[in-house]
Amino acid sequence: MAVRERSSIHGAETQFLDPAVLSRISGLDLLARTVVDGFLQGLHRSPHLGMSLDFAEHREYMPGDDIRRIDWKLFGRTDRFYLKLFEAETAANFMVALDVSKSMSFGTHTVTKLDYARYLGASLSYFSQKQRDRVGLATFDHEIVEYVPPSTRHLQRILHTLARAEPGRPGKLYDPLMRLGDNLYHRGIILILSDFYEEPEQVLDSIRHLRARGHDVIVFHLLDPTELEFPFESAASFRDMESGTMIPIVPDQLVDEYRTLIGQHTEELARLFTGSRIDYTVLDTSKPLDYALFRYLSSREKMARVR
Amino acid sequence: MGLLAPLFLLGLVGLAVPIVVHLTEKQRREVVDFPSLMFLRKIPFRSSRRKKIHHWALLSLRALALVLLVAAFSRPFFENDVVGIGSALGPREVVVVLDRSYSMGYGDRWERAKTQAREVFEGLEASDRASLVFMSKGAEALLRSTSDRGRLLTAVDTASLSADGTLYGPALKLAQTILEESEYPNREAVIISDFQRTGWKGDEGVAFPPGTVVMPVLISDEATPNAAIASVTLNRDFFSGQERMTALARVVRRQGEAPEDRTIVLELDGQEIQTQSVHLDPTGSATATFEPFTLSNVYTRGSVRLDSDALPQDDELHFVLSPGRAMRTLVLEGTSPRPDASFFIQQALEISEEASFQVEVRRSTSLSAADLAATDVVVLNDVGFPQGPTADRLRGFVEGGGGLLLVLGERSAWRTGLEEMLPGRFGPARDHARGAARLGHLDYPHPVFELFVEPGSGDFAQARFFRSRDMEVGPEGRVLAQFDDGSVALAERRLGEGVVLVWTSTMDAFWNDLAVQPVFLPFIHQMMRHLSGYRERVPWFTAGQVLDIADPAGMVFVADRESELPPDVDQVALTPGGGSVTLPAAAGPRFLELEEQGFYEVRPPGTNPERPFAVAVNVDVTESELEAMDPAELAAAVAPREMGVEMAAGGGTLSAEMQARNQERRQSLWRFLMVAALVLLLTETAISNWISRATTMRFKDGGSYVPSTT
Repeated sequence: MAVRERSSIHGAETQFLDPAVLSRISGLDLLARTVVDGFLQGLHRSPHLGMSLDFAEHREYMPGDDIRRIDWKLFGRTDRFYLKLFEAETAANFMVALDVSKSMSFGTHTVTKLDYARYLGASLSYFSQKQRDRVGLATFDHEIVEYVPPSTRHLQRILHTLARAEPGRPGKLYDPLMRLGDNLYHRGIILILSDFYEEPEQVLDSIRHLRARGHDVIVFHLLDPTELEFPFESAASFRDMESGTMIPIVPDQLVDEYRTLIGQHTEELARLFTGSRIDYTVLDTSKPLDYALFRYLSSREKMARVR
Repeated sequence: MGLLAPLFLLGLVGLAVPIVVHLTEKQRREVVDFPSLMFLRKIPFRSSRRKKIHHWALLSLRALALVLLVAAFSRPFFENDVVGIGSALGPREVVVVLDRSYSMGYGDRWERAKTQAREVFEGLEASDRASLVFMSKGAEALLRSTSDRGRLLTAVDTASLSADGTLYGPALKLAQTILEESEYPNREAVIISDFQRTGWKGDEGVAFPPGTVVMPVLISDEATPNAAIASVTLNRDFFSGQERMTALARVVRRQGEAPEDRTIVLELDGQEIQTQSVHLDPTGSATATFEPFTLSNVYTRGSVRLDSDALPQDDELHFVLSPGRAMRTLVLEGTSPRPDASFFIQQALEISEEASFQVEVRRSTSLSAADLAATDVVVLNDVGFPQGPTADRLRGFVEGGGGLLLVLGERSAWRTGLEEMLPGRFGPARDHARGAARLGHLDYPHPVFELFVEPGSGDFAQARFFRSRDMEVGPEGRVLAQFDDGSVALAERRLGEGVVLVWTSTMDAFWNDLAVQPVFLPFIHQMMRHLSGYRERVPWFTAGQVLDIADPAGMVFVADRESELPPDVDQVALTPGGGSVTLPAAAGPRFLELEEQGFYEVRPPGTNPERPFAVAVNVDVTESELEAMDPAELAAAVAPREMGVEMAAGGGTLSAEMQARNQERRQSLWRFLMVAALVLLLTETAISNWISRATTMRFKDGGSYVPSTT
């Protein structure tokens, strides 16, 4: 909620984050810079905030916190339990896992889900690069399509790969993400951009092992407003973009049920990801990117504190 | 109804297209690409609703339009000639000329012809009128210009073959008359026949009125093998005092495939008496000679039958025979004749294969009534003409039908009164100039000389005449032969029922040498036959002929007894088919139409004579020649004069204008089908668009859905 408020407060700057505007920028490099620089200027905060190994702050112990992080000296002075929080390590690995399955090509408002994901991936990679992180990229559908290993020098390659990513094949999360986990030897931040058209349990099974390997996983669930609202009225044949299966549909009769199901789906994903300490955000592709960026920064900040 | 392009009917398979389109088109046309149907599948949705046909009217329109299109491309046309095609232009006057000659009895031709006629009448509109004309050698309009289809069909159903031959002229003339009398503008003549060439004379003088559509319907077979009894020759002779008959049957076969043996049977009075086998080539003839049989009864009915084939009517030939009667000739040569004065006459008459002459030579001039009653011909051979009562009896004899031959010689003398009996006055004898005269003029059409009319059938010019009596023929007389110097050789006078002939030279070798010429014998025979009033009996008639039983001149050819059918007695004729024809007593003609093949029997009603008067009737054997002419030839000859004639497909011919119009009509159905299909398609398009607009997919917020592929 706070993020949305910030977005509205800095509405003037968010014009650079509007997908409709961004779609007119041809290069991802320029786009990422436009997004990140404009966004950070609006924040009025140091882009390097919390990005060091130095002490950050103390926080009161809460049940469940790691007792190894208790500042015993402070306990001696105050007789209270405080945790000593440090800034996260710099030069962390930032890996973008982008779903390029066929369903990602869907879009009814200027940009497709893949375009939106492309903007996000480029922007956050640029942002991470500026944070001196090692950035990497993996595109996947039912297998790894392109893989750019994390490196401080791979931003252009990532942007290039993102630019030519083409959706075409059916997607499946488990195998490519398992393969991705095998390839990442160092823990880092993994940003997963997908529409997650799989059962929540299967999605969690596909991602949980990344968390288990120590990666911080941020999940952006990209959905077109049409997928959320299902605004169709007339009877038509609906074709699954990935399998090609067609089903005759009379929308009037099932729009409510559809909305209920998609709502249950996202709620279930949120519940499962939260339970696994995975940051999960549903993104409406008709909305500006700032919400996603704020969400990312918030997550980074939170991760840094946890460490 | 037929199709010019029946393969287009395969297009009917396309009927499935509208149905499939109906079930699938909307899905195909309004396909929405959606990222995943994962959630939609979870909704308990009854997709069967889309598989139903919701717009039955639309589907029906599409299917019907397709059927009409296919039918139009198949080019349907009316196969049944002109039937029903003229109704669009108003009422029609249709004349059906149905050939019912006996050749139509070949195989199933008659049934096929009747079927064609029925189809014509069944195709009539209520406003049309039709006539049914039967064609054989004559013509009969059974129904004229009637709209009563029931009567027309009944007439066709009850029609039967005749025993008559084919003659196109009368029936076509009758059809022309009916068409000319009609006030209807659309006239059609349908000629249903086997179109035998034998019935076509070339120009019958028939011309249908302008605007008449002439449609010949050929009833034919690919091959027409047929054998027929072409003729039966009946020869008489006497053996051991009995008259015997010998029958020879000539069998003709045409268009056969292989030689074959056929059985031929001779029947007398219904009893089979002889059987012969004849070997027939595929095309050729053979003669079957039966053993002689004795003829003892009058009006003996005989038949020669060939085992039946596809045309049974010409496989039998009937005849009626009666025993022959010899002509009695009495030759009077006077009391002191020249030697051998009657020798040649006697010899000539006694030499006869048929032994039909009985000759008595008497040396006197007296004639009793009994003599004359037993005599058919009296010959006065170089004697003076009788006088007194004998002359009166002789005159009465001649007037009653007897014959008198006066042979003039030295002893013949003229006296007053003879001019009332003789053809003229004869004068003295004179020698011909230059030694001899020859016969220079003969009245060949006369029965005496008709036998010699053909070249080589008798040369009278070889005979030399040295002397003869002059003769001046009177107004009652007729010169039958003249010498080359112009003098009369033979003159005739009819006296009452009888005939008087005067020969101005002798009948021996004294004044001429005719008696030693080959022509003498037949000449004498012919004169005696003529004088006796002998007529060769007619063993059979041909179907279609008419017999006047009250005409003695005609009855002599068939009646064996005098006064066989007296005019004051009612008669009834039993036909071969079992019917009867009443012939009431009358002073005038009493005609019996011989229409059926077989034996007609005539007798007074209520009687059952043992040997009633009978005549045999046979079919005209020329009708068994089944060669067909080109129907177009006939149609062209009778089509309206002012219009050309072109051949139409299928063997029919039409006048040029009507042919084009008719053909167009017959095939014009496709236009109507095409227009109907287009109308249906337009209607379908309108309805479909309306439905489509009503169901166009749209978002609730008014925006449109733009599927993206990138």
